[in-house]
Amino acid sequence: MRAILLLALLPFCNAVAHEMTPTYPTFSLSFMPGISVTTLNIFNKRMDVSYYEIGVFTDEWEPVPFVSQYTVIPMKYLDTVSFDVYVSNLSLGSVEYICSVSQIQTGATVSSKICSRIK
Amino acid sequence: MKKVLIASLILAPHIAYAADTPIVGNVQTRCLITTDTNGVFGNPLPSKLSTASADGGVVPVVRYDVTLADAYLAKVTTPTAFSASPSLSDSVTWTGSTAVSKTSDAAMSGYEAAKVTYGSTTQFDLTKAGSTWFSSTATAVYGVSKSFPGGSYTAIVLAECIAK
Repeated sequence: MRAILLLALLPFCNAVAHEMTPTYPTFSLSFMPGISVTTLNIFNKRMDVSYYEIGVFTDEWEPVPFVSQYTVIPMKYLDTVSFDVYVSNLSLGSVEYICSVSQIQTGATVSSKICSRIK
Repeated sequence: MKKVLIASLILAPHIAYAADTPIVGNVQTRCLITTDTNGVFGNPLPSKLSTASADGGVVPVVRYDVTLADAYLAKVTTPTAFSASPSLSDSVTWTGSTAVSKTSDAAMSGYEAAKVTYGSTTQFDLTKAGSTWFSSTATAVYGVSKSFPGGSYTAIVLAECIAK
């Protein structure tokens, strides 16, 4: 049986985008002793994505423990969400990347991932 | 008369400040990943699915917009599995590649030659500010000339923008 097999159900040329800023966030002392915090923003212009997962990694892409309001951030289309990432000062030296990854739903064919870097 | 004189002396500096009121803004370095075209598998043979136009497919295109030169790496990974498909009883062999299909700046012409490929991932160094379009082809071959079961197949291209 020859079926037309669709990779995508979404209309073509329907530009959808994912953005995260800043590129180079900096940590500062938080209200809790021994914990540092930085703030990032995600802009969701993807109609096919409603959730973004946050991750913190070393330069070898090993995960670093962190706390945020959400690990998976619910976002509506065209929403901008600002979120804080809290990291223990003990692990702060190993933090290299903070990433957001789109959580794919049915019909989406491109998963987007943006990583900011701690310099 | 004396009050008017005092008032005008007080106001004078404010008027001068008003003329110099600055407009401030902050443009941040950023990377924007945009799905320009969603891909479609063509089915030129019973055992083959391909996004190549020669096979009746549509190549997925992803656009990267960066506002600062030499700040990001673009990594595009072609699929190595279906994210949704009918039940498959045999192995699927995947091949894929990613290439620069368009740029907003002629100075980006070296991106294609400088790309690094490892596994199913192709990495580009975004050394110029502006927009770059990447197109990925993906081909899946089922078993040894076995026919894919009828149904809907979905595979995911991963587009990453990593700060340098």
